Amino acid sequence: MTGMRLCVACGMPMKTAADFAMGDTEKDYCVHCARTDGSMQSYGEKAASLAAFLVMTQGLDGGAALEAAKGMMTRLPAWKGVGGIA
Amino acid sequence: MSHNMGKLRSVKKVRTRESLITAAIRVFSRDGFLAARTSEIAEEAGLAHGTVFLHFPTQETLTATVIEECGLRIAARIHELAERGAGVREVLDAHLRGIGEFEAFYARLAIEGPLLPARARNSILGIHSALSFHMGEASERDQKAGIIRPIPMYFLFNTWIGLVHYYLANRELFSPGGSVIGRRGAELIENFMNMIGSGGSKEEAE
Repeated sequence: MTGMRLCVACGMPMKTAADFAMGDTEKDYCVHCARTDGSMQSYGEKAASLAAFLVMTQGLDGGAALEAAKGMMTRLPAWKGVGGIA
Repeated sequence: MSHNMGKLRSVKKVRTRESLITAAIRVFSRDGFLAARTSEIAEEAGLAHGTVFLHFPTQETLTATVIEECGLRIAARIHELAERGAGVREVLDAHLRGIGEFEAFYARLAIEGPLLPARARNSILGIHSALSFHMGEASERDQKAGIIRPIPMYFLFNTWIGLVHYYLANRELFSPGGSVIGRRGAELIENFMNMIGSGGSKEEAE
């Protein structure tokens, strides 16, 4: 594995500038975790969007997807210690 | 002096932890997650049994940590190999190459995944998400270009995963003693693409 940077909010490797929020490689989160103004999504926003992604691309039940999304997020740097939907 | 000794101890601790994880990957690949014993992992690493518990309080923590770390490596490899803008065929190839580098370990995940604790299952979902992200983008492009049939993204993903996991779970039947991905991977991709291709079946095409 090369030294690709991982998004602190969803874990996605960021390979090129286009992968970073607003194309800004100084940011530590990716384009999918940014709001339209470039700021990082909240815990609740990210949990909901990750769950929607799991439903759309893997066909999970909505409730199961949200539980899985929160479980996956507990291991990511941006959400360490966050206990519930903010 | 004491600062240097502290630094040395810290480096040694990190190395021991890495040795345990590497040994655990080998033992899990060989015996499975549920049947593996911490004593065998310690033996594989050349360490005393008690050392395992200095780094991981329980076997469940060790198992979850190893699956998580290995899962991140596999997901990162899939991301590395899958080129943005690629088609479904190229993404499937990247997926097989990514999991193929960890085939014995990944096959255990495919077999035992549903029986493992939530933290481990979430790591498996993380690997799947690396694929479903690229497959989603690629299938949308290929459908628009008329290369593949209009099939819901999740169904395409689950059909592929089901197929690959079946071959991996029964790898001793499909490729005794060897890599099932190496031996059958190209065939899986070819036939899967034929099934989802917009040209339909051979009869329809004719």
